[in-house]
Amino acid sequence: MFLLALIMAKFEQAVISGAGIGLRSQHYQEILADKPEVNWFEALTENYFGDGGLPLHHLEKVREHYPITLHGVGMSLGSTSPVDHNYLAKLKRLIERFEPAYVSDHLAWVSVDGHFVHDLVPFPYTEEALKNFVNNVMQAQDYLGRSLLIENPASYLGFDCADMTEWDFLREVVARTECDLLIDVNNIYVSAVNHGFDALEYIKALPPERVKEIHLAGYEDHKDYLFDTHGYRVHPPVWELYRSALDYFGPVATLIEWDTDIPGFNVLMEEASKADQLMRAVA
Amino acid sequence: MTSLHTIQSLFYDAVFDRKKDSSALSEISEYINATPGLNAQDHFNIYRDSIIATLNRALREIYPVCCRLVGEKFFNGMGTEYMRSHPSCSADLAEYGGDFAEFISGFKHASELPYLADVAQLELAWHRAFHAADESGLDLAALDEVSETDKPHIVFYLPVSASLIASEFPIQHIWQVNQSDFEGDDRVDLDEGGIKLLIWRQDYTMRIDPMDDVEWSILKQIETGHSFDSLCTILSENKPIADIENILPVLVQRGWIASFSIDD
Ligand SMILES: [Fe+2]
Repeated sequence: MFLLALIMAKFEQAVISGAGIGLRSQHYQEILADKPEVNWFEALTENYFGDGGLPLHHLEKVREHYPITLHGVGMSLGSTSPVDHNYLAKLKRLIERFEPAYVSDHLAWVSVDGHFVHDLVPFPYTEEALKNFVNNVMQAQDYLGRSLLIENPASYLGFDCADMTEWDFLREVVARTECDLLIDVNNIYVSAVNHGFDALEYIKALPPERVKEIHLAGYEDHKDYLFDTHGYRVHPPVWELYRSALDYFGPVATLIEWDTDIPGFNVLMEEASKADQLMRAVA
Repeated sequence: MTSLHTIQSLFYDAVFDRKKDSSALSEISEYINATPGLNAQDHFNIYRDSIIATLNRALREIYPVCCRLVGEKFFNGMGTEYMRSHPSCSADLAEYGGDFAEFISGFKHASELPYLADVAQLELAWHRAFHAADESGLDLAALDEVSETDKPHIVFYLPVSASLIASEFPIQHIWQVNQSDFEGDDRVDLDEGGIKLLIWRQDYTMRIDPMDDVEWSILKQIETGHSFDSLCTILSENKPIADIENILPVLVQRGWIASFSIDD
């Protein structure tokens, strides 16, 4: 099956390394005109769920020059209902067309009984939730014929019925399925502050060989809690934590994410080159 | 021990206050930890506010002119009201808000703007055309090769991106003067009267094409999927009478007819 995929590949092999940048529509023109030196781009899966039109056309053009990853928020692997086949069918169509290096989604739920909240909501980390999550990951991977990366979300609430930590939960998920991890260092920092745990303990608990991608972004300080807006440069304590993460995980491909108040492309390039420097230091 | 499904359902009901008595909110709060400075409901509200803001942003992206006409604050209030009775049923936010126009027409606080629902319809048609499948346009050579015996059985199709919209208000003019790059006199006289429109996409160019009553009646019949033969019969009985043999080439030339098949 993998051999077949190689023979049929339209694009250059999609292995990614170094720093990548989140692909946003504001930058299509600049990227396509200037072909900036970026290692890879991450596209937001659901933005390309339409049947046609400019978004898919632009992604096609970007893909001709760069490897990409597909990053989703809608698979809702934490839901108690089975993963939606209509969703998986659309995702599979994108995978076949764009040959992404990785396909990722989150440790969260976004829908219940087919009704969506469009936000990454946490759930209590229990044995019941673990079985449910593992089951959904396996179903999705079977359907897609490839493994997923699971990303840790930033969270703003904890449940009193939880009987394991988020890192224990993630460790169990990778032990029981073939999925790998996308570790968002900013999200770990945000959640650590919000829930009062040790961010480094989280990172040290994860199996380094299963961490395939890292996310970096900027949070917003709301005084009583940190909020993950993806609207700022990466904050100094997150760079610090990233340095430690690289020590444990090695120079894992790292994405600069920016979703609100999207700045000029040069700002993203500056952030990416900072990440690249830190990766080179541990390579 | 409460099941995961119960927690998720309570959470959902609390976000949209579906029972309108905050009972879901007090129930879900019992499962949520308090932290220094934030009680359980504060934690929950971070999510609720963010969820409602996300859905309102999605509606503003599909209906920017409606938002401009009523102001963002009013629009968000209307959107929040809409969410309570209209759940999002797709992971793709671009699919949310499909019946917003219908909701607006029954929303009593918006009754001072009787054209608002029709503007919303125009914007939804635009949004759908933007994401519709790519299409190469009518294959004239293939049409030329259709035999005389097959000709009556030809079924023509509008572009897959197309929507036909009629309004008794000048919604195209309203839409135009509310574009962010519009310059000039932005006053619209509602007495200008109504309009009939085809909203569609030609390659990657968006089109809002006005048309007369005859063209409208032809396109409406084509939309229902009649063969050429029955199309001619229906249109010859219609008022106004449509001279389809002469009008059809014009419609083709404008790109309003994008494909055909032979009905058997
Ligand atoms: Fe992330």
